[in-house]
Amino acid sequence: MSTSQFGTPIENDTEAVVVVGSGAGGGTVAYELTRRGVPCVVLEAGAWLKPEDYENDEWAAFNQMAWLDQRTTSGSWRVSRDFPNLPAWIVKAVGGSTTHWSGATPRFHEHEFKTRTYYGDVEGANLLDWPITLAEMEPYYDKAEIAMGSTHRHGRPPLPANNNYKVFANGAEKVGYKYYATGPYATNAEPYDGRPASIQDGFNFQGDKSTAKWSTAVREIPRAVESGKCDLRTQCQAVQVTHDAQGRANAVLYVDSEGTLHRQAASVVCVAGNSIESPRLLLMSASGLHPDGLANSSGQVGRNYMRHLTASAYARFDRDVRMYRGETMAGIIADEARLDTSRGFVGGYYMETLSLGVPFLAAFVDPGTWGREFTEVMDAYARTAGMWIVGEDMPQESNRVTLNAGVLDPFGLPAPDVHFDDHPNDVAMREHAWGRADLLYESVGADATHRTPPYPSTHNLGTCRMSERPEDGVVGRYGEAHDVPGLFVSDGSQMTTGASANPTLTIVALAIRQAEHIADRLGKGEL
Amino acid sequence: MADLKPALVSLLRAAYPHPSFPDAPYERTADTILGQLDEDLWHRLALEHGLANLDTEALADPHSEAASAYLRSIEDAEFFAFVRGVTVVTLYNDHEVWDLLGYEGASYDKGGYVERGFDDLDWLPDPRIEEYDGPDALQPVADADQPTAKA
Ligand SMILES: Cc1cc2nc3c(=O)[nH]c(=O)nc-3n(C[C@H](O)[C@H](O)[C@H](O)COP(=O)(O)OP(=O)(O)OC[C@H]3O[C@@H](n4cnc5c(N)ncnc54)[C@H](O)[C@@H]3O)c2cc1C
Repeated sequence: MSTSQFGTPIENDTEAVVVVGSGAGGGTVAYELTRRGVPCVVLEAGAWLKPEDYENDEWAAFNQMAWLDQRTTSGSWRVSRDFPNLPAWIVKAVGGSTTHWSGATPRFHEHEFKTRTYYGDVEGANLLDWPITLAEMEPYYDKAEIAMGSTHRHGRPPLPANNNYKVFANGAEKVGYKYYATGPYATNAEPYDGRPASIQDGFNFQGDKSTAKWSTAVREIPRAVESGKCDLRTQCQAVQVTHDAQGRANAVLYVDSEGTLHRQAASVVCVAGNSIESPRLLLMSASGLHPDGLANSSGQVGRNYMRHLTASAYARFDRDVRMYRGETMAGIIADEARLDTSRGFVGGYYMETLSLGVPFLAAFVDPGTWGREFTEVMDAYARTAGMWIVGEDMPQESNRVTLNAGVLDPFGLPAPDVHFDDHPNDVAMREHAWGRADLLYESVGADATHRTPPYPSTHNLGTCRMSERPEDGVVGRYGEAHDVPGLFVSDGSQMTTGASANPTLTIVALAIRQAEHIADRLGKGEL
Repeated sequence: MADLKPALVSLLRAAYPHPSFPDAPYERTADTILGQLDEDLWHRLALEHGLANLDTEALADPHSEAASAYLRSIEDAEFFAFVRGVTVVTLYNDHEVWDLLGYEGASYDKGGYVERGFDDLDWLPDPRIEEYDGPDALQPVADADQPTAKA
């Protein structure tokens, strides 16, 4: 496939809002702006795959849409040993990682916007309160849940219990948890918003062929393209954001699939390439005025990279479970997603049902293992139940995305390096969560549980963080760079801290709020 | 060049011992590994040398303690790491292996699993799917962790 154009063309020298990336953040911003009549150019590095293109096969789908350009890793995290060139499992396609995502949509708690206040001075952690509060976010959480069709919210019914959930929820009840349910998940239990109900086909990390699952590839992007205000250019990768003599963002340079460089003039630039590519783009945009990278006078661009705690537990039983039948994720336990330092750590975590097929379970259950210890796990496949653990990890200045000038991508540009070390708080939380998962599964008769280490990161956060004061972070309360007027960050890299919740609902809510703000200021001639 | 396949198959059987598996999936995986050598001189050198010196007698019974003890002794060798890297993404991507392990794979063309057993587990009671609506609301912050409590 090669560069394609969709929607209504906009001239390269016409100043438009230029959105980099069409995933959760970028797709939402583009839709929310174009529906208010604001012209947008959307540059997307990947192709537009349609539901009929999705492969219901784990490796085929991964090779079809994962971001596989050269990346490097460093630090003590196990991903760097097992998958040295795959720090993250994210998507290069229209819709970004929302084509892969599984749809869990919990909100942040109030205190999770104020971690410096609540957690105090945690050694080695670069904690900071967000410049915004839950109260300010609530109306946007509502809008995001309605857009995404979250189950259990706004009249949307719950998903039914699948086999994996039956084990999970019975275990939850047995160990005394109360706050479990099959959602909220942004997958239709009944038809909604022009899309059908789930047929429980067992594939959604691979793109959902049925479209029961929300993604910006099935909702926001098609609607933006039909608005008459959007020029979507696929397989166009932004490589630099430029500014004028006054320091205002004024254009984006991008490369098409032939390797040709283009310039798109911009009134506003919204960067939403996910938390590895967004800081990489800013670092590649260094100038005389911004010698350390665009918008980096704080020195925080690329720092405070977070990936959530993550771990999994797979339990074997003496009877069939068949976890792969039905929605990949459709169960959540919130009892541990709270602040209670008597457990030995700050922050909290969710437990969520998770199923992998045979190919991915083999690759990820315990990378590098072999022998009977490994094949016993695989032999029990049909009798296995699984859960994922997602919790708040500590922002650390040294966990960071940098340019690795020694390794080049296919365009000849420096590859990003992702450096990560676990914080002791992350380790303590993970041990606690594995222990609880063992108890939960043992309570319903598990023969054994296997503790699976973090996968390459699916949640990538924090590398252009939001802060009240310019010296503490990269962007302010609406995601606009403190030091580059007209430059916004619209994805998960804005997150000041990661909370225990899966991030996408919050990314979408922030993007809706940001688009409203941009449209408002454009309308007043302020941008 | 000597036929590397028999030695490779016995290595695979012992490194990934599944009592229920016939030889065919291991043989297909061996073919895939050998097929990659044309493009990869470094792994060709490592694998040919490694297999030429493999103690196939120790691997005769793939399920024996002797076989796994022997494999532990060569665990860090480059050729063994290469074999493992390809095997884990090939053997378990083999559809006969899926059948043997009870994985049914794609279902979209059959209408999904909604009418085909997505909820057929019957050895546990049907759990609640709605959120808890009892008297005790989740308390997001323990009393002792309120900032005022610490001050
Ligand atoms: C397997 C999996 C399961 C997940 N499950 C959940 C879940 O249950 N709940 C949840 O909340 N989250 C989940 N996530 C995470 C979720 O997908 C991400 O948080 C979210 O999509 C991030 O949004 P984003 O806008 O930051 O980036 P993305 O959605 O990744 O979009 C970034 C886009 O930008 C494009 N891009 C990057 N650089 C450039 C460039 N220079 N020029 C042009 N385009 C560029 C990329 O190709 C991509 O399309 C999951 C992720 C994965 C991979």
